[in-house]
Order: sequence, then C-alpha cells, then structure tokens
Amino acid sequence: MGFLAPLWLLAGAAAAVPLLIHLMRRRAGARIDFPAVRYLLRAEREHSRDLRLRNLLLMLLRVAAVLLITLAAARPVIRMAGGGHARTALAVVLDNSLSTSAIVGGRPVLQQLQARARDIIRRSSTADRVWLVTADGVVHGGSRDAVLDAAAHAEPFGGAGDLRAATVRAAALARAAALPAKEVVVLTDGQAASWHDPLSLGDVPLHVYLPAAPAPANHAVIDVRAIPTRWTPRGAVRARLLASDSATYRITLEGRTLARGIAARDEEIALRAEPPERGWNAGTVELEPDELRGDDVRHFAVWIGPAPAVSLHPLAGPFARSALDALVQSGRAGIGNEIGFAPADEASKLPALLIAPADPVKLGAANRALEKLGIPWRFGAAVRGESMVRAADSTRALDGVIAESRYALTRIASAERTDTLASAGGAPWIVAGPRYVLVASPLAPPATTFPLHASFVPWLDDMLSQRLSGEGGIPRDVAPGAPLSRPPGVDALELPEGGAMTLSADSFTAPARAGAYFYLRGTTRVGALVVNPEAAESDLSRLTPEALAVRLGTRATNVFTDSTALTASVLTAAPQRPLLAPLLLIAAITLLAETLITAPARRRAA
Amino acid sequence: MDTARATRADLLDPATIAALGRIEVTARWIVDGFLSGLHRSPRKGFSVEFAEHRPYQAGDEPRHVDWKLAARADRWAVKQYEEETNLRATLVLDVSRSMAWSGAAARLTKLAYAERLAAAIALLFLRQRDAVGLVRFDDVVRSSVPPRVRTGQWVRLIAALEEPGSGRASHAASALEAAGRLIARRGMVVLISDLLMDPDDVVQTVRGLRHAGHQVVVMHVLDPAELDLPQSSEALFVDPESGVEVAATVADVRAMYQATVREALVEWRRALSAYGASYEPVITDAPFGVALRRAFSARQEAP
Repeated sequence: MGFLAPLWLLAGAAAAVPLLIHLMRRRAGARIDFPAVRYLLRAEREHSRDLRLRNLLLMLLRVAAVLLITLAAARPVIRMAGGGHARTALAVVLDNSLSTSAIVGGRPVLQQLQARARDIIRRSSTADRVWLVTADGVVHGGSRDAVLDAAAHAEPFGGAGDLRAATVRAAALARAAALPAKEVVVLTDGQAASWHDPLSLGDVPLHVYLPAAPAPANHAVIDVRAIPTRWTPRGAVRARLLASDSATYRITLEGRTLARGIAARDEEIALRAEPPERGWNAGTVELEPDELRGDDVRHFAVWIGPAPAVSLHPLAGPFARSALDALVQSGRAGIGNEIGFAPADEASKLPALLIAPADPVKLGAANRALEKLGIPWRFGAAVRGESMVRAADSTRALDGVIAESRYALTRIASAERTDTLASAGGAPWIVAGPRYVLVASPLAPPATTFPLHASFVPWLDDMLSQRLSGEGGIPRDVAPGAPLSRPPGVDALELPEGGAMTLSADSFTAPARAGAYFYLRGTTRVGALVVNPEAAESDLSRLTPEALAVRLGTRATNVFTDSTALTASVLTAAPQRPLLAPLLLIAAITLLAETLITAPARRRAA
Repeated sequence: MDTARATRADLLDPATIAALGRIEVTARWIVDGFLSGLHRSPRKGFSVEFAEHRPYQAGDEPRHVDWKLAARADRWAVKQYEEETNLRATLVLDVSRSMAWSGAAARLTKLAYAERLAAAIALLFLRQRDAVGLVRFDDVVRSSVPPRVRTGQWVRLIAALEEPGSGRASHAASALEAAGRLIARRGMVVLISDLLMDPDDVVQTVRGLRHAGHQVVVMHVLDPAELDLPQSSEALFVDPESGVEVAATVADVRAMYQATVREALVEWRRALSAYGASYEPVITDAPFGVALRRAFSARQEAP
C-alpha cells in the first residue's frame, strides 16, 4: 500500500483527542448538590459494566473514525492482482557505448540490446509513458512507436558515454511522471569500466540485463602522442597498445604510411620522423581489425613546420647567444627574422622572446615597447635579493634556478589570456601570451642563475618551437561527447571526412565519432581537436550479474542474463486502486454507529 | 367548571399557592378547596375528655355533675367533655438537609412542600374533630406536638412547622417510634419524607407500628429532578447530607438512573405494603390537592 499524500498521516495524531477525552471525561463538569446521590451510585454500581463497555466502544469508534478519515486524506492506494499492469513510467537505458559495438555471436552486442529494448517497449500500453535513454545521454520520448523506432535505430557511440548518468536521468524521468508505477531497465554489456560507483535511484525499481556470453578478446591502441606537439620539423610518435599478444601496427600521417611493424605485448611504440608535411596534420596508429573495430585506430594531430628562424639582439647577452647557437647547431633553430629574441626595450615586433633590460634606465622604454606591441604586462619596481624560481608546469625542471635581481611584473587589464610559466618569490617571473614570452630578469648571471642552469637550452627550444613559431595552438585530446569551449577566434571545425562544422556558440560538445578535427579561422587551420575513445573502454571485461548487483548498490535491483526472464519481470506492477472511497465509507459507518449509540442519550439530554 | 377549578387553592401550583401567604393561611385555603369533612367517622366516641365546667342547668344529667366540685365549692357545675375523635393521628415530618432541596428555583423545596402538605392534612383532621399531632425529625426527633383536637392545637402545629432549620441526616425509625408512643390507642401515623435513608430500619419500625394497631401512611416526597436527573452534561453530584460525590455524564447514565429510581419506589411500596402500610409518592410540582387526595384515600383504604 502506498500514499499519494502521506503528509496527511501526521493528522492521525488527532486520534489521541477522543482517547484523552475518554480518559479525562470524569474530571470535567459542574458541582451539583443532589440528595438522591444514593440512586446514582446504585445505578452506576448496577450498570458499571455496561457503562464501561459503552464508553470503551464509543472511544474506539471515535478513534477509528479519526484514523480512517486521516488515512483517507492521505489518499492510500493498494496494489491489486489481475487486470494487467499498473500505469507505469518506464525508462529504458540502452548502452550504446563503444564496447557494445563488439561483435559477439556474429552480430554486435548493441543489436542484441536493441532487440531486448524493443521487446520490453512493445509490452507497454498506451497508458504507460516510455523513454529510451542512451549512454551518450540522448533521451527519446513520445509515443511508444517513436521510442520503438529510436531503439531500432540507435547508433553505437564513439566512446564510453556515461551509463551511470544515463541511468540516473532515466530514474528522474520515471519519478517525474507521477504515475503509480515506475521502472528503469538498463540494457548493457556489463562492462566493468562502466559501473564504478553505486547508484541512488530512490524507490524506482531497477532491472538490469547483460548478455550471458563472455566478452571477446580485444586489442586496441589506447594511447598515441606526438612528441612534441609541434614538430620543427622533427618529432616522434609514441603509442601504447592493449593486446594479449604481439600485434601488427601501422602509423600514418595524412594517410601516408610512416611506419609498419609488430609490437610485442605491452611494448610502447616509438617512431621518430621528420616528415615533409607542413602545418596541422592528422595521423593514426592502426591495428589489424578485431571484434571491436572502434578502438583499433587511434588518432593524433601534430603541427609541423621548419625550425624557427630567430633574430637575436646583441643586448640579449652572451648566454642567450650561446644557447641559440647550440640550437642552431642541432638544427632545432635557425637564424632569421621569424622570431625576435631581445631585451624588451629593443623589441619592435612579434613573435618575440623578451627579457628585462639590464639597465634600469631603459625600463621606461621597455614598458613603452610592451605597450606598443600590445603585451598586457609592465615592468615595475626592481626587486633585489635571492628568490627561488618555481615553474608553473611541474614537467619543466626549473628547480634550483635563482632570481637575484628582477622587476615586478604587473598585468594591465586585458581580455587576452596570459600564462604564468614561472614565478620567483611568489610573483610572476616568466609570463607568456599569444606570440610572446616575457622574462622579468635579464638573462645574465648577476640577475639570475637561469642561463647557467641545465634546463635553459631545452626551455629556450621549447619556447621558440612550441610557443612562438608558426600558428598558435596545441592539439587537444578529448573523448567523444566531451563538453568544450570554443577557442577564441575559431570559426569552424574541419571534419575528417571533409567539410566543416560552423562553431557559433561559445561551447559545444566533441563529435561522437573518433578522428582528428581542426579548428579553422577562415580557411586556416589554427588548432586541432583529437577525439578518441577512452582507453578504459577498450577493456571489455564484464561483471558477473552478482558483482554488477553489488556494484549498483541500489535497492530493488534485479539483474538478468536471460532475456525471457527480463521481459517477464518488467511491467508487472499490479494496478493500484485508491482506497479513498472504501475508507470514507467505513468512516461513515463508524460515525453512524457512534451516532446510534449516543443518540438516545442525546435525545434524553435534549 | 374551569373557573371553579382555577379558584380552588388545592389545585393551584404548589409554588404559586405557597407564595400567597404563610403556612397557616395557605393550608386553610388548600383545605377549604379540598372540601374538608368528606368522610364520616365510622366510630363514634366511646370516651370523653374533660374540657371545662359550666353551671348546672335543669335537665342536665346528674351523672355529668361534678360532685367533687360541688362538695368543695358548694357550687353545682356540670363537666363539659370534649368529644374524643374517632382518630388520633401523628404526622411525622422529615426535616433533614436532603429535604431542603429543590431541583429548580421555581419549585418548592421538598421540605417547604412537605410542611404545607402536613399543615393541610392536620387542618383536615382537626376539622373532622380528629386529634392530630406532629413529630419533626432529622437524625433525632427535633420537636413533637402530641395529638389533640382542642382549640389551639392548630396554632401549636403551625408554630412547630414554622420552626427553622434542618438537621444533617435522616433517621425516621426513632421518629416513628416516638409518634407511636404519642398515640395511646390505635391511631394513624403519617410519615412525610423523601425516604433517602436505610429502608430496613423504616420498614421494621412500620411493622412495629402496625403490630400496635396503628394505621401507617408513608408519603414519599420527591422532586421531579430526582426522578430524572438535573440537566447537565458532565457533573459532580454531591449528597448534601453525607458529602458523597459521584461524577457522571448525565446523558450516559440518565436512563439507568431513571430505571433505578423506579425500581427503588417499587421496592418501598412492596416493603411497606407487606406490613399493611400505605405508600404514596408525592411529586413536589403536583398540586397539594392531589397529595391530599392520596393521603385521604390512603386513610379510607387503610385496614
């Protein structure tokens, strides 16, 4: 039995009123002189049992009447067997994550799940409400036929999606429908990686179906990285595979095969290359097809360009000269006018790597140059004394670098995004923005130990090749469906199959299909978005029904591996019948009985 | 006919007639209304009681001459005898605290009603030349007036009836015994009481009176509220004599109470009738004529 307005049950406390009156009735009333008390005593003595029974009966009838009325106000409903099923809000969660596209028994797991979904939805009646929620978060509602059609045409998602969130959302839909019965059915391949945390669905019953067949063996490319992210023009591709045995792989760049090979189990693939391509390029690491095709190819994107041509100003100092010479000799940089490397007061164009002037007298000229170049930073007061330098990015080893003389860097208001790459004494020391890098000390030993530090030349290489050369931007790796913000100045997203998707909103979701996508400003590629499935999605290990039930952790959970049992257990809630009318009828009979018992006395009293 | 009835004081509302004057006056109106002397004495005097002397006149029977007076005073006088009635009656009136109660402000208390009823009965007896006395009692005998028929008895009875106060409890047995002692030969004892007392003592005393040859009439004075119950919802009923308290819901116990009172009246009637005593319930809202008629008929029917 349930209640549609359970708060009314609190009014049941009013049942104590007749009880209290019954207990206190002999303590109220006026004091009356009455000589014939002996007759009253005799009457009570001779009829005391009748009186007690009568009063007890009246008290019980009144208490029962109050309880019945409050119970009726709470609008109770009771489930009655027979007569079909109760009106049900049924939400079917279809796991269309990448793992369900694995071929098992000659067809994708998703097809099996779709068939189960259609079986269940067909059992619903027009009085029910039905939704289909897929793992990628898409909700299909409306008529039963519309939901059936959606179940039949559900496409596999390129990533893991969020099956847990889809289930919670399905339960919320069912609860919000305000129908007598609510059910959530989850059709999943039972992949262990999909179910981490317990669910909390309240009182909504949960039925879970997972196929009885074991998960197929799977090999996959679970990680690919272009190192560095910008090749000038040399670089490397590193990849990790998931395979139970050795696997044949192929590495491509813009469709051109860079390398083929066989990787041993757990071996990391590494390929060094100096390709002739320039600009933003898409590449893949591919394995031989297996039961799950979606993770046999993993994409990457890399910017390739010539070594940056650097124009070094003489006042930048001997240490800057030595470091640049080292880069030029190794082919990682060249001499030219592409990138300036100078004290800030001597800078006249971007991109440039700017350092503080050695002479404080030139501070004003330096700030004017910064303003002229549109850089939102200014040199402030000189700060003397040793300050430890800390890199904002822990991967950059600046530990041990000391700044002895520096200028306080002050940021002026600007909407432009800036990065603080290193700080000294808690204040910004190296800052960067679009097409500039600014150091708050001269690169000379009296001001800082940085030029003497082992990390100086790699840092200079990184700044020149990754931050200052070519178009800005670095590739971003995301999972299908991930929420994203549109980068500033980007108009569209170039699709792998050709064409472009216009980006007008400030935010958008990553495409569902894996691939390398490029941000476009006009017709120029200015960045890359690499969409690959989550590595965990390639682990097809399945939970047993018992383990899944434990991991779900929610009440009223039934886990099935038999489709017939699943279908039989769904939409079985007995129809609910309201008890309002019978309760009111019983209350009326109770009150009538009370009236019949007390009426003679009331008539005599009148 | 209606006019005639309306002017008869014995048929007026007791409270109305009581408001018109003192007991002495109202009793006369009641008795006048009741038409005293309806009965004829079945037994005529067989004894006389000295009343006064008068001078001898020719024709007087010599046996009535007071020879002792003639010898002492040398004067011939004839003894005048008051003819003794055929009945000597004693009214036994309960003046206990329970009698001084009325269920409604517009009604006479049981005691006021009983006093007027007793006065009327006494006047009736006196007008018939019956000797009548009075015993007032509560837990003890408060006062007694021996039965007499001579002039002045009426005044003595009224004076006794108008004595103030009422005692706490009722003990009719001793009063009845005292009344019996006041009547030298067979007579009548009329008990006027609310009978809120132990029936056994009363019945035993009545039995004694009956064995002594007395005629006993018991007039049970009841307020209408004692037959029903006072109008109230919840109340604490207190006995003014004993102080006993009983809390009750009137609506719940009224029917049972009424049945109990009816049963008690039947028990009184049965117990008193078993010894030849007459028993008449008298309700204080009934005209005095009704009560007088019952008392009169009880005397007529008495063995």
